[in-house]
Amino acid sequence: MLKLLVPVDGSANSDRVIDHLIHDRAAGEATELHLLNVQIPVDSGHARMFFSSSDVEAYHREEGQQALKTAREKLDAAGMTYTWHVAVGPVAGTIVGFAHEHACDRIVMGEHGSSALTHLLLGSVASEVSRSASVPVMLVK
Amino acid sequence: MLEAALTGGFWISVLQIIAIDILLGGDNAIVIALACRRLPEKQRRQGILWGVAGAIVLRVILIFFALQLLAIPFLKIVGGLLLLWIGVKLLQPEGEHENENVAGSAHLLGAIRTIIIADAVMSLDNVIAVAAAAKGDLTLVIFGILVSIPIVVWGSKFVLKLMDRLPIVITFGGGLLGWIAGDMLLGDAIVTPYVEGLPGWIKHAASLAGALSVVAIGIWLARRTAQPMAVVEVVSSGRHVGSEDGK
Repeated sequence: MLKLLVPVDGSANSDRVIDHLIHDRAAGEATELHLLNVQIPVDSGHARMFFSSSDVEAYHREEGQQALKTAREKLDAAGMTYTWHVAVGPVAGTIVGFAHEHACDRIVMGEHGSSALTHLLLGSVASEVSRSASVPVMLVK
Repeated sequence: MLEAALTGGFWISVLQIIAIDILLGGDNAIVIALACRRLPEKQRRQGILWGVAGAIVLRVILIFFALQLLAIPFLKIVGGLLLLWIGVKLLQPEGEHENENVAGSAHLLGAIRTIIIADAVMSLDNVIAVAAAAKGDLTLVIFGILVSIPIVVWGSKFVLKLMDRLPIVITFGGGLLGWIAGDMLLGDAIVTPYVEGLPGWIKHAASLAGALSVVAIGIWLARRTAQPMAVVEVVSSGRHVGSEDGK
């Protein structure tokens, strides 16, 4: 079974990836879906000074669930089986590392995330992932 | 003021202040969100609103005091050293000091108290840096506070993304704080008589020394506290079995 890693950031773009996967499943081979949301760590000493690490972790978990929400609803409605994960770390590196650790065969993601401005100023996570991943990366426009 | 606006020094200070506001203000909103996390939905918005208002008011008050204090001999040296420390701190990957845990309140007042204390600590960093970069120019000080407000209110996600995508920004920021600190140290009333006769490049040399020492010490400390190369840290996961699988 083809193991797909689908990074999800909760944006309209990542939701389109989900639509594509739902649409595609009838045609393609059987796949194992892994949704992954990566939260950028709150590295600042300030947050760590005032909040316990369990508080910070719970915050990341909630934000991650929120980001996964629409993608999960779409898959639920389509009756598909999937596994979801929320991870904390540098975004591109964590996606690539996750794919490696879980022996995923392919990464399927949107071309860019939530904000066109961020994309313009900072470049996309997708291009960083496709540069550094050791498995094929499929970008959904 | 107008003459100052026409010189390059003014615009360099403007850029420095914007950079400082971005680097030191980005986590403010996250701290506020964390403090209000356990409040019921309705109170959460109230908490965030008061937290942001508190951050801004505290900044205005603190910068007023900072400007008065920095005129006193010797205190610019203290400020400069503090700034070097803030720069080194910026370069550290994670706060090694475990929290004093003021946090976790499920009451509005408790959350606001946490926010105000956190605001004070965070604003202090920002205010010292802005006061140093402004070199006593009130226009610049006010500009610095105005720029920091939208960053506190809306900018946190963007600042996080910026630091995620371009980690070099943090190194640059630490260097910038060191640069300003070096300049500030020479500006102290105790030091000025000694440097008065010296050529102008002395100031730049002090700034460069400040920048380099912050980056060097910061990176050295960060290396020392760095954890072994991280495995992917999954904080939550689950599985949903669909009804129409295998069709």
